[in-house]
Amino acid sequence: MFKVAYRMAGLSLVSALACGVATTANAQLLVHKDLSLAMAATMATTAIATCKGQGYNVSVNVLGREGQVILGLRNELAGAATMENSMKKAYTARTFRRPSGEFANSVKGNATAGALFLTNIVAAQGALPIKVGDDVIGAIGVSGAPGGDKDEACAKAGIDKVSADLK
Amino acid sequence: MIGTIRLLAGISLAFACGAATTANAQLAIHKDLTLPIALTMAQTAAEMCTGQGYKVSVHVVGRDAEVLVAMRGDGANPHTMENSLRKAITSRMQRRPSGEFATAVKDNPTAGGLHLANQIPAQGALPIKVGDDVIGAIGVSGSPGGDKDEACAKAGIDKVADQLK
Repeated sequence: MFKVAYRMAGLSLVSALACGVATTANAQLLVHKDLSLAMAATMATTAIATCKGQGYNVSVNVLGREGQVILGLRNELAGAATMENSMKKAYTARTFRRPSGEFANSVKGNATAGALFLTNIVAAQGALPIKVGDDVIGAIGVSGAPGGDKDEACAKAGIDKVSADLK
Repeated sequence: MIGTIRLLAGISLAFACGAATTANAQLAIHKDLTLPIALTMAQTAAEMCTGQGYKVSVHVVGRDAEVLVAMRGDGANPHTMENSLRKAITSRMQRRPSGEFATAVKDNPTAGGLHLANQIPAQGALPIKVGDDVIGAIGVSGSPGGDKDEACAKAGIDKVADQLK
């Protein structure tokens, strides 16, 4: 009898606390700012044009907050792998919240780093996170230039083009 | 001796193959979509649908069903990316509107085509043609009805029709 009472009391306490606290803490929904297709398109086409102006044919992917593809553009003049590579670079930049080149450097001395075995992660420079303040809302990845630094420069040009709207 | 005959026969066969080489002396000449044309198509289709209040995603695929443009519409439901891609691939592979495939399998739910990768019996994609040559397809998903998706896909193709030659 006591046991039952204890249990019931415990249950009430737990559920009251859990529900009460949780409800209060979560009373407001999260407010996110997310990329629009129009901004993603401006970023992607700017990145392609920038690289094109330097004589490089590149493919570009712009991903959103959840790593979802918002815009993928295959440059028919770029290598066949560039579509996949630009997507994976962008996914890497999004999920690690930093340039994919920084991730590449961080695993240089550790070829068996666990992160390298995750899906869609690639240790290659050429993608940058897209930020609103400190909040990473997506990433842009570029592939096809002769060097990840050149890919990254074009990705940066894409972000710079819309930087005034990233707020 | 028999070995020699076999060898000679082998050489004759090689010559026969040589004839085949002659027949194929010319490479196939393909016309393919460029990214600017594909992007114009996708943007036109997306704008046509959003202008009617439909939140859609669009895919344009090329000759080998490779993705040229993948475009996720603002507010479009998550599945529309997969659906527009699969409609486009269906249309490219079968060289006809994906809606025709959907109609064709209505009375044949065990049609083999239904079990191929990335095929889907759903209206909303059209093949992109140069004459009779199918060089790609455009797929749309998100409208309330495949006919409306298809109309937006058609708008995309119409926009660049004078370049498809």
